[in-house]
Amino acid sequence: MDSALIPEGAKRCAFPKFAVGIAIVGAVVLWGVYAMLLCWFKGLNQTNMNDNYGFALWIWADLAVIAVGGGAFFTGLLKYIFKVDELKNIINFAVIIGFICYSSALLILAIDIGQPLRGWFIFWHANVHSMLTEVAFCLSCYFAVLTIEFIPNILENRQANKIPFFHHLAHNMHGVMAIFAATGAFLSFFHQGSLGGVAGVMYGRPFAVREGLLIWPWTFFLFTWSAAAFGPCFTLLVTKITETITGKKLVKDNVVHLLAKISGWMIFTYIIAKIIDTIYWAMVTAPGLGFDISRFYSDNSFYGYWILLTEIVICGVIPGLLLIMKSTRENPALRLVAIILGVIGVCLNRWVMVLQIMAIPVMSFDTWALYIPSWQEVATTVLPVAYGIILIAVTYRYLPVFPQEKELNSVEPAAETK
Amino acid sequence: MNKIENKAHKFGMVIDLDKCTGCGSCMVSCMSENNVPFKEDESNKKDSITWMRVYKLTNGKSFPDTEIVYLPRPCQHCGGKGDHGHSPCVSVCPATATDYGYDTGIVSQIYTRCFGCRYCMGACPYHARYFNWWDPKWPEGMEKYLSPDVSPRMRGVVEKCSFCFHRYQAAKDKAYYDGRDDIEEDEYQTACTTACPSGAIVFGDLNNPAHRVHEIVKPDPHPWPNNPNVVGKSRNPNVFRLLERLGTNPKVYYLSEREWVRKAGDNYLDGEWDKIKNHHGSESHG
Amino acid sequence: MKVDRRSFLGLGLGAVAGFSVSPVLLKLTDDSSIWTQNWPWTPVPVDGEVSYENSVCSLCPGSCGISVRKIDDRPVKIEGLDEYPINNGGACLHGISGLQYLYDPARVKSPLKKNGDKFEEISWDDAISVIAGKLNDIRTAGSPEKFVCIADKDRGSVPELFKRFLKTFGSSNFYTMPGFESYLKLTAEAMHGKGMTIGFDLENSDFVLSFGAGIIEGWGSPVSCFKANASRKEREAKLYQIEPRLSNTAAGADKWLPIKPGTEADLALGICSFILKHNLYAATAAVRFKGGLNKFAAQLQNDYSLSKTSEITGIKESEIEEIATLFAKAKMPIAVFGKGKGDASQSLKEFIAVQTLNCLMDNINKKGGVFIQPVKTYLEFPEETLDDVAKEGNEKPRLGQYVHDLFEKINTSSQPVVDTLFVYQSNPCYALHDTKTIKQAVGKIPFVVSFSSFLDETAKEADIILPVHTFIERLEDVPSGAGLSKTVVGLSKPVVKPVFNTKLPGDILLLLAKALDGTVAENFAWESYDECLETVAKNIWDSLFQDGYAILEEGVPEESVEVNVAFLTGNPSSIQATGDGELMLIPIDNMRLPSAAPAASPFSIKTVSDEVLKGRDTVVEINPKTAKGLKNYDYVALTTPVGTAKVMIHLNEGIMPGVVGMVKGLGHSFDNKYVSNKGVNINELIGPVIEPGSGLDAAFGVKAKISKA
Ligand SMILES: Nc1nc2c(c(=O)[nH]1)N[C@H]1C(S)=C(S)[C@@H](COP(=O)(O)OP(=O)(O)OC[C@H]3O[C@@H](n4cnc5c(=O)[nH]c(N)nc54)[C@H](O)[C@@H]3O)O[C@H]1N2
Ligand SMILES: Nc1nc2c(c(=O)[nH]1)N[C@H]1C(S)=C(S)[C@@H](COP(=O)(O)OP(=O)(O)OC[C@H]3O[C@@H](n4cnc5c(=O)[nH]c(N)nc54)[C@H](O)[C@@H]3O)O[C@H]1N2
Ligand code: SF4
Ligand code: SF4
Ligand code: SF4
Ligand code: SF4
Ligand code: SF4
Ligand SMILES: [Mo]
Repeated sequence: MDSALIPEGAKRCAFPKFAVGIAIVGAVVLWGVYAMLLCWFKGLNQTNMNDNYGFALWIWADLAVIAVGGGAFFTGLLKYIFKVDELKNIINFAVIIGFICYSSALLILAIDIGQPLRGWFIFWHANVHSMLTEVAFCLSCYFAVLTIEFIPNILENRQANKIPFFHHLAHNMHGVMAIFAATGAFLSFFHQGSLGGVAGVMYGRPFAVREGLLIWPWTFFLFTWSAAAFGPCFTLLVTKITETITGKKLVKDNVVHLLAKISGWMIFTYIIAKIIDTIYWAMVTAPGLGFDISRFYSDNSFYGYWILLTEIVICGVIPGLLLIMKSTRENPALRLVAIILGVIGVCLNRWVMVLQIMAIPVMSFDTWALYIPSWQEVATTVLPVAYGIILIAVTYRYLPVFPQEKELNSVEPAAETK
Repeated sequence: MNKIENKAHKFGMVIDLDKCTGCGSCMVSCMSENNVPFKEDESNKKDSITWMRVYKLTNGKSFPDTEIVYLPRPCQHCGGKGDHGHSPCVSVCPATATDYGYDTGIVSQIYTRCFGCRYCMGACPYHARYFNWWDPKWPEGMEKYLSPDVSPRMRGVVEKCSFCFHRYQAAKDKAYYDGRDDIEEDEYQTACTTACPSGAIVFGDLNNPAHRVHEIVKPDPHPWPNNPNVVGKSRNPNVFRLLERLGTNPKVYYLSEREWVRKAGDNYLDGEWDKIKNHHGSESHG
Repeated sequence: MKVDRRSFLGLGLGAVAGFSVSPVLLKLTDDSSIWTQNWPWTPVPVDGEVSYENSVCSLCPGSCGISVRKIDDRPVKIEGLDEYPINNGGACLHGISGLQYLYDPARVKSPLKKNGDKFEEISWDDAISVIAGKLNDIRTAGSPEKFVCIADKDRGSVPELFKRFLKTFGSSNFYTMPGFESYLKLTAEAMHGKGMTIGFDLENSDFVLSFGAGIIEGWGSPVSCFKANASRKEREAKLYQIEPRLSNTAAGADKWLPIKPGTEADLALGICSFILKHNLYAATAAVRFKGGLNKFAAQLQNDYSLSKTSEITGIKESEIEEIATLFAKAKMPIAVFGKGKGDASQSLKEFIAVQTLNCLMDNINKKGGVFIQPVKTYLEFPEETLDDVAKEGNEKPRLGQYVHDLFEKINTSSQPVVDTLFVYQSNPCYALHDTKTIKQAVGKIPFVVSFSSFLDETAKEADIILPVHTFIERLEDVPSGAGLSKTVVGLSKPVVKPVFNTKLPGDILLLLAKALDGTVAENFAWESYDECLETVAKNIWDSLFQDGYAILEEGVPEESVEVNVAFLTGNPSSIQATGDGELMLIPIDNMRLPSAAPAASPFSIKTVSDEVLKGRDTVVEINPKTAKGLKNYDYVALTTPVGTAKVMIHLNEGIMPGVVGMVKGLGHSFDNKYVSNKGVNINELIGPVIEPGSGLDAAFGVKAKISKA
């Protein structure tokens, strides 16, 4: 019944099946929206946050989605600036994932602040010293850029594309996309960085604080780097999930291998920097403030050295190596393991840099503060995930997201192209 | 000529922990002075607004060698690294809703500008900042005791100790009407200071050598050789600041004759305290 | 013009575009944020002219001077009054919270009459005539002694008016709730003669040996004690604290000596014994002791050798020696008694034993010592005229010596012994031991009238509640009396017009008297309480009125006093706790919680630690050694012979193993969600233990068991 909207030559499931799927995920969205409205109308007392835990679950989710959404800017950078042409086959999808991540991040911020109607004060009364100001400006601008990058893809919809104006607009936008990709990369570099800076500049928190370069603490660079490194993992992961669900191959292996390889090297170099940073912080920065690093990992029921080990070795070094080495990279199972570990790793890093910071006592007589999110927090954190699923489903159904789809799914399914 | 006259004030406190009894007058005086609300259950101290919070510290020893001390904690009105006014909280607020008063050293909080992002709370290691998780509500009729000097805060914004800034304003106004340039030490005293039955809190201008707080603290105007971020270290061997090593440069000082209490004010690696404990300001400038 | 689809779309888009670039959006955004800054449900305090009025706080016996800041007619802040002879600036948290009592919506807003289970508002006239009717009936029946009154204290014009009311009515049954002031008088009377009382010159003593006195826990006149304590540092005066738990006083002391609960008197006698044995007492002391010291000394040598004392108290012999020697060698030592706030159940033996230490050092009526002098009276009431009913009634014996005897008598006798009970500003149903039996006794009284500002536990049991002004609304003389070295009478002034339909207690009595038969009315011939006060306090009125206070006594008294230790030579045994549990439950006095009336304010509850109150649960303290696998905030059932309560555990290294500490002042059950239904009232778990010889309820604790709940 919606066949007129479906890209030419593409096979999609029957509309009722699609509608049922959307309805199920839509119910989750409604649950999240209900929680969101509670937070807006009744206030943040609906959460289990408290004065020790001013940043909690959904701020972690916010940082995490921005990190994994880093695939968009980094793929864009590679495609448009470094002219890695193969990536044109995945760039649309990377942009859509980025769009979802960034719109989710903005939504979360709108729920998170105590006075949503005053949110714009961050622009109007901007404090140039604040990393959050930088985040707000860059995030908003980059979201605009992502929207612009997304538009041509929307205009390529079969019906929209029939309108000459839209057709030409899409075409011309593709032409100038390099400028936006460059702008986006620049903006992204800064807001990913300033999100890292948010933690790194908190010199009252020995667990978070880092020395750095000029006004930027090392976490600034590490966040940008890690987003660039692990973002593509997430793009690949979502692609893989989409392929599994649709039962179709959508991107050619050479493209996947290339992105995985780039990601691998990024992860590998990032993790070396991260290890150096950790060692310097553990041996010099924190002890200089009177903290033995064991203080951050003991005397509580949750945060142990395991988290450091998991983040750096299991979800950092290992996926890095797996993706660097050709044999493991080109082994679909190991590649999948690597990208999953990578995504977990970057999310864990953001968790540590948001929640563990809040949990650790700083005054010698203070105690650990652990917290358990309320259902409202969980629902509003799940909301973007559900919304993302719907957006991907809709765009996949109606937009020519994967240029290689037709080729790969012609009458005879294409075999693995070696 | 007194050089002080044209110099900026730097209001600060010194709290004598050997005198503090943990009685709570300062807490309640602050709540009453500053229209701090209350709710049905205040026993979760992590969501209970107490601009002045009195912590109980113990020496960690077992019976009968246990000792306890009470440590009242208002906002420390941090001067930030090098005392340049970039307090941990002020430097991070994206909307400039909290600010450093270079003429007073007071860290302000503008409730009507704050949009509740709570970044400042994360940045403050003293838990001195409180978020209004709920609408402030007074039982019917009780709002009659609210003071017009301090506006009640709305839900969704952060608040904290202001060093009773309105008392400073009132003192300045009075001085102005009287045709004086400046205020006297006793004209501007915070509500916790005047309430304390033990006289444990001394408040005044750290820049003014005639003020009691300066006499007790004897702040060293030079950076501490061990850590150049630290300025204003006390030259009184019994005086310390909370988390001084972080370079937050609080303007609230503490006084105790008990070594374990002074040690509890900051964090030290094993064995470090014994090496560091006798550094009291830069000796060279003694 | 034809509106086709195209032009419609164009118009629509145009409108959207126009709207977007117009200032409307900007304005709406701005307006919405301004709206958040002016939420109508966030109160905006009204501004006005600032003024200050001085008065006196009478929330506790401290009687501190206060300064009330007002905006026009509205009091907005209470602070301690500088240069007031008791507190000289500074106030405790309860005094500072005073306005929360004033404006508490849970106050009794007009006279109430019980109808079935509910209270109904009635007019003052109706309330007075119902009560007068009842009282007249009692007189007609010829049993005026069945009219009983319980008040919070017995000094000051209002208690005097109550007493006068009873006397002219024909009853001698006026009782006060246990209070430190009455214990001081009792001790002084037993040792130094009738009409005497005791004050401590703490601010000038150089060595204070405290037998559990919570000097910074609300003992005596709290703010005055805080000041004396704080000045120790400059004066280099020492404080040694003897008690089973590391209280704040113990924590601030130079030394804390944990002692087995209930053995304080034995320790004091052990120290006396040591001092006598080693001739460490003042040479001038012996002559003061009635009958000399020899017999007493011999008795002590026998009963309280170092080893025996050490065994009883759990304090090392060397430590007993050390404190005895330090105490004896100090220039001006003081030994102080009255565990905790000094107001609840106490033992006369303990008081006398401790006071004997003072007498041995002969620090009596010396600067920095203990002041013993006659209780100062300052009110002159006209002689009463009694009619025959009154005369007969007054000759009948009192129902009991103390208030707990009264309730005991009511509960045990088959006849109704009390017909009408007036309860003034006290809360026996909450504050006396074994509250269940107290409530039962009150329930047996046919007619109960409560004079109260709040619907507290006792008021809830009353038939009529007569709401009285709070201290902020009141004119009244407030005599200090809590063991201070000086005697000050302050004048409480009505700082604000009454918020509700309440009256001064004095005025209520005048109205009642006028409605009574016989000669009662004649004895209350004043127009109003104001007039009455001015007349009866005429000797000090000018000073009261102008300065806000009058000092009755200041400086070192000149009296030379005798010492009588007959109570001790009578060899009374020390109080034993009842029950058979292996733990000892003791009450904890906490400065941030009033132990009885009035209950805590929302502000003061807010300051209470989560190691004391967590959610709706009382948290009790036990030593980790006693905890046996229990963790912080585990629930336990705490059982005593009197009752069982579910409480939480806090592991505290600062309490003796084997002892359970539970805070006083929680577990109120009236209608105020900020302070009520939180925790357990410890008086529901402890029963009275009557001290032989004194008749006091001297229960210091009770044996208890805990089991994981
Ligand atoms: N607790 C609390 N905090 C508040 C407020 C509150 O109501 N309560 N109000 C907030 C508001 S609205 C404001 S505007 C701010 C005000 O806060 P500030 O801007 O700190 O205001 P002032 O205290 O008036 O300080 C101004 C300084 O400028 C100096 N000055 C005066 N004239 C001159 C001049 O000609 N040149 C120079 N260079 N200096 C001059 C004065 O001596 C004084 O030191 O406080 C904010 N903070
Ligand atoms: N004497 C003196 N006068 C001054 C100054 C000074 O320092 N001293 N400073 C000057 C300066 S810089 C300024 S900005 C002005 C400020 O002067 P005002 O604008 O008068 O500011 P405030 O006195 O702080 O607050 C005004 C009233 O607003 C109430 N209020 C608080 N929150 C809210 C709310 O959410 N909604 C509503 N409707 N009311 C609320 C407060 O309770 C108070 O009664 O004063 C100026 N005048
Ligand atoms: S104590 Fe906290 S809130 Fe106060 S100035 Fe320092 S960082 Fe800011
Ligand atoms: S919560 Fe308010 S004061 Fe704190 S950083 Fe955010 S806007 Fe600034
Ligand atoms: S200085 Fe004023 S605002 Fe700060 S804690 Fe003391 S009373 Fe409260
Ligand atoms: S009022 Fe004074 S003594 Fe009481 S808790 Fe505060 S600082 Fe300590
Ligand atoms: S100590 Fe007693 S009299 Fe003094 S302020 Fe506190 S409650 Fe009032
Ligand atoms: Mo202003």
